[in-house]
Amino acid sequence: MPALPEYRTRILLERENVPLVNGIFVSPGDEYPSSIPEMPVYLKAQIPGATSRKKHGLVRRVDTPEELQENLDTLLSPGSWGQAEGVLITNGLDLRDEYYAGCMLDFGSEDNLPGGILLFSTEGGSGVEGRSGTLLKMRFSLLHPPSSDRIKKELKGLEGLREHAAVSEFLKGMISTFIGYKLIVLEINPLGVLNDGSVVAVDCRAEFEKSAVRKADRDVFFPPGLKSSRDLTELEEVVELINRDDPSGTGFFRQNRETPSEGAFRVATNLCGGGGKMLWEMTTGSRTDIFTMNESDTSGGLSAFKSYRILMVILAQRDAQVLLLTGSGMAFQNQHHLAAAVWKALRESPTPLPSLLRFGGTDEDKARELFERVSGTLPVRVKTYPAVVFPNAMVDDIMDMAGETTETVQRYKAPRGKPEIIVEIPPGRIYFFPQKWRNDEIPPSIKACPTGFLQWKNGFLHTDPEARCIGCLMCETAALLDGNAEILIELEMPEVVD
Amino acid sequence: MAGILKYIAGIETPKTLVFGITGKQGKSKSRLMRKFGTEIIAGCTPGKGGQEVDGVPVFNSAAEAVSAFPQLNSAVLFVPAGAVKIAAIDALDAGLKFLVLTADGVPAQDEIFLKEYVSTKDSVYLGPNTVGLLDTEGYLFGLIGGSATWAMKNYKPGKVGVVSRSGGLSQLLGAFHCRPNLPGPRADGSYGPLWGDDYPGLSAVLCVGGDPVPGISMLDAAIAFEKDPRTEVMAVYGETGTTQENDLASAVMNGEITKPVVVFLGGKFTKAGVSQSHAGAMIRNENETWEAKQKALLDAGVTVVERPDAVFGAVLGKLKES
Repeated sequence: MPALPEYRTRILLERENVPLVNGIFVSPGDEYPSSIPEMPVYLKAQIPGATSRKKHGLVRRVDTPEELQENLDTLLSPGSWGQAEGVLITNGLDLRDEYYAGCMLDFGSEDNLPGGILLFSTEGGSGVEGRSGTLLKMRFSLLHPPSSDRIKKELKGLEGLREHAAVSEFLKGMISTFIGYKLIVLEINPLGVLNDGSVVAVDCRAEFEKSAVRKADRDVFFPPGLKSSRDLTELEEVVELINRDDPSGTGFFRQNRETPSEGAFRVATNLCGGGGKMLWEMTTGSRTDIFTMNESDTSGGLSAFKSYRILMVILAQRDAQVLLLTGSGMAFQNQHHLAAAVWKALRESPTPLPSLLRFGGTDEDKARELFERVSGTLPVRVKTYPAVVFPNAMVDDIMDMAGETTETVQRYKAPRGKPEIIVEIPPGRIYFFPQKWRNDEIPPSIKACPTGFLQWKNGFLHTDPEARCIGCLMCETAALLDGNAEILIELEMPEVVD
Repeated sequence: MAGILKYIAGIETPKTLVFGITGKQGKSKSRLMRKFGTEIIAGCTPGKGGQEVDGVPVFNSAAEAVSAFPQLNSAVLFVPAGAVKIAAIDALDAGLKFLVLTADGVPAQDEIFLKEYVSTKDSVYLGPNTVGLLDTEGYLFGLIGGSATWAMKNYKPGKVGVVSRSGGLSQLLGAFHCRPNLPGPRADGSYGPLWGDDYPGLSAVLCVGGDPVPGISMLDAAIAFEKDPRTEVMAVYGETGTTQENDLASAVMNGEITKPVVVFLGGKFTKAGVSQSHAGAMIRNENETWEAKQKALLDAGVTVVERPDAVFGAVLGKLKES
């Protein structure tokens, strides 16, 4: 779950009138703050999701303005922790007591409705769950949040607590914040008690769901100007560009950041839809002897043009040993079109991989027939499977094919000359070579066009302005299989992938 | 004969309202549902009341729609994740008995809120994050099959009730029980056609969704199939995360479920705290692990298979026994 650093969590709490220790936020590039709290102060580097900040030197006590300047400069500069969003400077308070407070979700069970859980302990620090006597664990309804009176009643009898009224009011505000922003976790640790018995949040953090963020609150959850922490790999950047050029369907690709265990078989995957991803992960992909190089999801009606482009990226993953493609097995999207994209990628990629292809859904037989015809012409072995064969039954083949070497790959040469037709959405260039089709019959490539976009009139290629190219690759496939390569399609990649 | 909705929500003949009918998804899936046989009486999109989509009148709210068509008893929501909570409350307040929430990515707090909210009503909902429900009596809620032609070709009346936390496997487990000469691993260890042209067929497919707080749970679905006279065996896809499989096991153990149940339990290799394809598959405690669920199900006498293609042979075995 994405995390909110302390200074942004404080904004949410402040809006719900939850008392906070005084603080000033300084971001990189800001001038030295003109007014700072009285010394000593604490400097806290703001890094979402960072834990054990004290231990890693990301929280520092300073006693003089000189120390402040020096430490501020250090924490605002990139370091072993990366680049902090900024530094929060807070008062060094003289606390009478330190408590713990947290809110999280209870997902419920057959016997209990789900809701929220409030954890409160009169001992600060982590590991509250194991405490007894000093721990309150209170379930609460998101529909009818608890009043401060109810919280006060629940706090009764808790060892070491004297400030019942102040704490219950504080916890009520905390629960309002938790519910108001639909957070997953909200933690205040420590919750400080001052000498006058008032309470303040000294440190806090939150976890949230992206889908729960309201438009009006985006500035807090996703501050403008903040450098993206998406940490995309080069290949992921290419897929971002592919999606920008062709927004049809879903084109998701993310590489595995972990290091494969020794001897694990490295599988590049083209998973189609949630069903394909689920089938792979739940049956095979998480095995310890298999290393899934990437997650992917190509579905939702994307064109074969786009499937091809994403496949070119999937195949370009260094160290991958085999390609595995699967969907749920019940795809409504035409499997023959997908097969055409796979065939094109395997013959044009500079780094094709031995491939295991499970086609299931509309025209699945045609998809397999295509590979029966062409697999001997490819520089790698390809095995196709019907939908009734699941990924778990392919493990032996994965291990077998992972050790295979690839034959010398002929460098793909893009068609030369001026393209006959430029398709804008989905983007592609269709080349027609009239010298390769000199008889009177309609070329197979034109006959194969499922929408009627390509027309043959009096021995010439025409396009029907009323029809649309859906980027299915059927024309090129038919030209190569049943014609004389009279049509070729060039699908440029946003960047060179090899 | 009534379909599975009779045992889920007391509905003999669904009369349905479609939220988001004016959107691309709502429009195309409404066509699929109607072509399959679902009676869609009205649509609902706030601010677009008064329009028509394929002859279906559109209202601004469920209350307006129910006022015009009091026979409405169910709804399907094709609205974005962030709008699900408010639309579902609208439908529940209007008195609709059965809802299908298709959206993926509904905030967990909204799911928890709705679960509590619906407990105060005489209604139930399927989802969120579900492909819906298909009953071979002739109605469909959601997007199973993708097109009516494909759905009608693949889902045929018969004896198997499918319950699944995955959309893909809901569709697949349903369709493969209706496929003549389906090959698969047999009880004797050989591999080949499990049956001839006389496939077992389906009563209904019910996808409870892949989220951590489903409205209708696997157990609720199983209890409905227990009551449904067409259903002889249940084929279930379960996985790590939540306690739904554990609850199902308890119900089998205590005799609440007496019909044979075959479970394909996915996620054998899932590590605790790691998110998988479904938000609900994350392991949060030791009861939610694959091992704990397998033990609970086996102890209850449920047939558990570890690979999806083994479901069909196991179902066939149960049908022969019954």
